[in-house]
Amino acid sequence: MPNYNIDADPKHTYDAIVIGSGISGGWAAKELCEKGLKTLVLERGPVVEHLVDYKTANLDPWDMELRGALTPEEQKKHYKAIRSGFIGKDTELFFANDEENPYTEEKPFLWIRGHQMGGRSLLWGKQTYRWSEMDFEANAKDGHGVDWPIRYKDLEPWYTYVEKFAGISGEALGLPQLPDSHFLPPMELNCVEKDIKKRIERDFPGRHMIIGRVAHLTEPLNGRGQCQYRNRCSRGCPYGAYFSSNAVTLPAANATGNLTFRPYSIVQSIMYDESTGKASGVRIIDAETNEDIEYKAKIIFCNASTLSTTQILLNSTSNRFPEGMGNDSGELGHNLMDHTYRVGAIGKVEGFDDKYYSGRRPNGIYIPRYWNIDENSKSDKFLRGFGYQGGAYRMGNSEAANRQEFGGDYKDSIMKPGPWEFFITGFAECLPYHDNKVYLNKEVTDKWGQPTLTIDCEYKENELAQNKQIQEDAVEMLEKAGVKNVLGFDNKHEPGYGVHEMGTARMGRDPKTSVLNGTNQVHGAKNVFVTDGACMTSNSCVNPSLTYMAITARAANHAVEELKKMNI
Amino acid sequence: MDRRKALKFTGSMATAAVVGPSLLSLLQSCKNETRIDWTPQFLTLDEAVFVAKVVDMILPRTETPGALDVKVDMFIDKVYAQLYNEEGQNHVRNEIAKFNTDCQSDFGADFVNLSESDQIKALQKAEETSGQFGSGVWGTTVGNPEPVGFYRSLKSTALWGYFTSEEIGENVLNYDPVPGAYRGCLSLDEVGNKWSL
Repeated sequence: MPNYNIDADPKHTYDAIVIGSGISGGWAAKELCEKGLKTLVLERGPVVEHLVDYKTANLDPWDMELRGALTPEEQKKHYKAIRSGFIGKDTELFFANDEENPYTEEKPFLWIRGHQMGGRSLLWGKQTYRWSEMDFEANAKDGHGVDWPIRYKDLEPWYTYVEKFAGISGEALGLPQLPDSHFLPPMELNCVEKDIKKRIERDFPGRHMIIGRVAHLTEPLNGRGQCQYRNRCSRGCPYGAYFSSNAVTLPAANATGNLTFRPYSIVQSIMYDESTGKASGVRIIDAETNEDIEYKAKIIFCNASTLSTTQILLNSTSNRFPEGMGNDSGELGHNLMDHTYRVGAIGKVEGFDDKYYSGRRPNGIYIPRYWNIDENSKSDKFLRGFGYQGGAYRMGNSEAANRQEFGGDYKDSIMKPGPWEFFITGFAECLPYHDNKVYLNKEVTDKWGQPTLTIDCEYKENELAQNKQIQEDAVEMLEKAGVKNVLGFDNKHEPGYGVHEMGTARMGRDPKTSVLNGTNQVHGAKNVFVTDGACMTSNSCVNPSLTYMAITARAANHAVEELKKMNI
Repeated sequence: MDRRKALKFTGSMATAAVVGPSLLSLLQSCKNETRIDWTPQFLTLDEAVFVAKVVDMILPRTETPGALDVKVDMFIDKVYAQLYNEEGQNHVRNEIAKFNTDCQSDFGADFVNLSESDQIKALQKAEETSGQFGSGVWGTTVGNPEPVGFYRSLKSTALWGYFTSEEIGENVLNYDPVPGAYRGCLSLDEVGNKWSL
């Protein structure tokens, strides 16, 4: 793909500014550019050009100093993100610098950030599931949070639209709680997974175990290659096989000739013009020169990622919005949610010692939610529900190290794959609580002197009750499926580990209780759109990225229509 | 499969002959004169000899290269020097000393100076007393396993260094950087050794 035009002009009024270039920002850029809008994308970090800047994509362990481990200095740079357990020499370039970008944990919260072109779309897990009607109705039905101003039918055509361009592989099931996407061929389950699937579906009517639905191409699409099963996705994919802004939406935006992409642009605030009652543009700090610059635009899409978007809105104060842009309701910064993480069961599988697999599948199994989906599945212990991810594989070094053996025969035996292991780990829906929140912290500033966020969030009774059920059910399912030495676990991880942070600028029907309307416009500043995770009114139990894509495409379409009608 | 193995073996030995003087010096010396011919970054010479002896016993040369052929001892020293903080380094030092103290009380000498049969007994004891790693899921340990003892940790680092060495990773294990497809149910015989990546 061509180079990006990075020369932004402060004297020019752009049709649109998009803040952030991750999953939702990339979609906003593509849609707005393709609809003819001259669009300026502001990205906090550097350009990561597809293919060109995937510097670690082809490195083997022996090609890396310390075989891919992080030195103490590198660990210090990522001293918070490192808790996640999935950051190494090969991927650390796509994780934000925690020292330069501090945040304060009032209660423990892990905030994973990606400050570069593409943001966390380079790092995400690629699990892609539609939300269901019951997700959008949940708040209205049980009274937690506020009602979503949209329903499944409002998003359905947009799911279809983004899926056909992004490329989602998976298997159709026809389940009401997990609507089918437009699928490319599914990836394959391995022998052990096939066997366990049969047993679980036989012994637990209403439960299903499927291959994960993922944003990986299983056949070529729009010039992108299909997955080569290297499972080195988070380094950037040389085939463009998984969905990232870098490989998919930004090249499409760039191809229109309407895109200007400005890297190293830290958005300080969105400017509000009292004479028009709209936002007039964006104030940035150049991360390299520390220069303050203002850019003007007719519409602004704020897609900086859930908490960063809210940070920008909180920092965008004016006479009209003394407590932050769109904060008439006092809900800006509130109702933060994530999915609970690392609760489940694991054990050994016997009887398949002569079976193996080839290829490194960047995907696992998925067990869709089965609690609280109808009268028969109602729980008296908790509201909402959870799904599981997991998988079976043959064990490696830690099992080999555990064997109480050494010497020549031992060495020869560990050249063969270890025993089979199978695990499932749950992701539970979190209710929206007003007191799970973020707020600006002016005492702690970042490298550029900007106020930072304090995060004050915890799981409460309903989430903990679900975690208990997740573990009980997981142990029961594995034991019934014949898995041996089953260990139930609950790592009691704080929120943030799921890296599905949602809420803090929620959509709603009433400006008194929400920040955004049903088309993602900020109440009181209708030309500002928020379509990343911040906009979410509840958080389902399934992975959110596909819904961000659909919501963004829908909102961009609406924005252009309103612009044409001169309504904004 | 045998042919393939033989070819791999030839390749590895050729490499070892070129790059493995430390191995040769070990082989040529009798056990009480074990010495190393590289300069450790963290370990003392005595400690480096200890580590070399232990990893050579865990992963000796068979028809495939051993730990010392692929410089696992040097890798472990580098890990201690560059990845461990001061507390971790002190721990390593104390644990090696403790291992030798135990050998003295059990068998009457430091580990490297024991007879081969006593060295085997010492490692057997270490295997039994140094705990086990818990299971992990996506980079995080699950459950609440007790921390492992020094020997298990050393053994694990040795396996890490061994299997991620270019020689073992490319020529001994099944190396396939671009598989192209996923096949979920193969006969193990079709693959042979485990995948290296």
